Amino acid sequence: MRSSLARWASYGATGLTLVFGTALLVSFVAQSLPVWRHEGLAYVTGSVWHFRSEQFGVLPMIYGSVVVSIVALALAAPLAVGAAIWSAEYLNGRNRWWFKVPIELLAGIPSVVYGLLGVLLLRNWIYELFERFEPLSGDTLLTAGVLLAVMILPTVMTLADDALRGVASSQRRAARALGFTQAEGVLRVSLPQAAPGLVAALLLGLGRAMGETIAVFLVVGRQDSQADYGLRSWLEAGQTLTSKLGSSETFLAYGDPLHWSAIVGLGLVLLALVLSLTLAAGRWLPETGLARNRRA
Amino acid sequence: MRKWIDRGLPIACAICAVACCALLLGIVATILARGLPVLSGEFLSAADGELLGSGGIRYQLFGTVLLVATALAVGAPLALGWALVQAVWVRSQRGRRLLRRTLYAVNAVPSILFGIFGLIVFVKYLDWGKSWLAGGILLGLMIVPTIAVALVERIEALPAKYVRAAAGLGLSKGRIVTSVILPQCWSGGASGALIGLARAAGETAPILFTAAVFSGVTVPHGVVESPVLALPYHIFVLAQDSFDPEAGAHLWGSAFVLLALVLALSLLALPLRLRAAEEAQHG
Repeated sequence: MRSSLARWASYGATGLTLVFGTALLVSFVAQSLPVWRHEGLAYVTGSVWHFRSEQFGVLPMIYGSVVVSIVALALAAPLAVGAAIWSAEYLNGRNRWWFKVPIELLAGIPSVVYGLLGVLLLRNWIYELFERFEPLSGDTLLTAGVLLAVMILPTVMTLADDALRGVASSQRRAARALGFTQAEGVLRVSLPQAAPGLVAALLLGLGRAMGETIAVFLVVGRQDSQADYGLRSWLEAGQTLTSKLGSSETFLAYGDPLHWSAIVGLGLVLLALVLSLTLAAGRWLPETGLARNRRA
Repeated sequence: MRKWIDRGLPIACAICAVACCALLLGIVATILARGLPVLSGEFLSAADGELLGSGGIRYQLFGTVLLVATALAVGAPLALGWALVQAVWVRSQRGRRLLRRTLYAVNAVPSILFGIFGLIVFVKYLDWGKSWLAGGILLGLMIVPTIAVALVERIEALPAKYVRAAAGLGLSKGRIVTSVILPQCWSGGASGALIGLARAAGETAPILFTAAVFSGVTVPHGVVESPVLALPYHIFVLAQDSFDPEAGAHLWGSAFVLLALVLALSLLALPLRLRAAEEAQHG
């Protein structure tokens, strides 16, 4: 009797969670249908977003999301992998614990606090640092990328550390026995063997950067149109999928079915990008490592 | 050459590690230095004033605690049920793998999408308007993977002999769950829950369109059209209007309180996880 009660309660809870998850997916697909009918493929290739003239092209936002995530990953990856090598290969148990606690705490800092630091400090630093390129303000794609780099650092570092520690210590001992120095053991044995896990760490970091909203919103400048897509645009205001979704336009759009479905469509594009990065990472890292991926 | 690499690699890696820790220290120190002078009993207990960013943060703090408590009430039972299904009730490896992958997929969904989903379902379809309950449910759903994964890891690490001994005593499977598995594994769930709550407390995006307003409300009565004030949302709005120095001090104070709340929840989870690591060693 008791067995069946505990069992049915568990299945009930699981079912309810699945219902919410499915409803989320279905509502993003269903509610974005009108804009796909209206724009077709031009929805993702069009570069003009002007809702009064019913033009919805999300290329500038996709471009913004890709640029800030890649800048974030390019800055965070060397630092995170270096720190992970230090933690996994050179520290013993207790010291490693003392190193990983602050990293875990770094992962817990709310994104709005990062956003605040971005608004009050980072955007001024970026403006002053790149003054000779004459940016209009400190709110740029680059600023958002730098801020995101700090935010994804703990995620990438923790996952990379897990990947390196997954390499059997007998492999390291064998390397030493063959006359490798410790550094050669790291570079020629540990790193190659941990490569799939490291790739997964980078992919998950990229996905996390792409989904982050609040901090990006505060420093990216939020300009819908993209004048050019070259390197110069990194020092101009931009828009990402998430910063567009977080703007007040979302609330305004609800009354107009087409405009609303264009907003929901942004969410669908974002969901598709993030889920494919996560699934790709899952192919590299089929086991529990994905659990450490902190939500953006 | 080999010698140089052997010396250089640990130095380069240590520099990276120190840089990571320095970033954390720098962030915490910045918030501390600017937020601590603002902090006072009055700042915590007074309601907000007439002007933007004046007065205290009493109802912002209350709203955040209410949202987090609701998230726990929603997320914990769902996560407990999910973890038991995945680690105990479902026997086939395929079924377990499917559940695990689904959990990871849910975990990867960006938080702003929960906010838009909540806007569609709670605010518009159910016609609640902005409501604390909508925010609490959304935050609760978001932390299901965090709690469930922590619990599953602990259940899977439980020595098989415990379960076999209980089965040998003639206990039913439901009885084994309530008398053996849950008492042995609750600390895993509790540390997962604390970390989940720390995240829920700091989230802005899910409550942006569904639960939070900037001013004008105190304690909600009922569900429909019952928004709350919340610390992260408060900081988010003030940060967009950061040029007023008076609001600036208020802003740093609020950020300090939010950071302290989140770090305290994360630190509370540490002893539980330490215990888990020790038990795993002694088996």
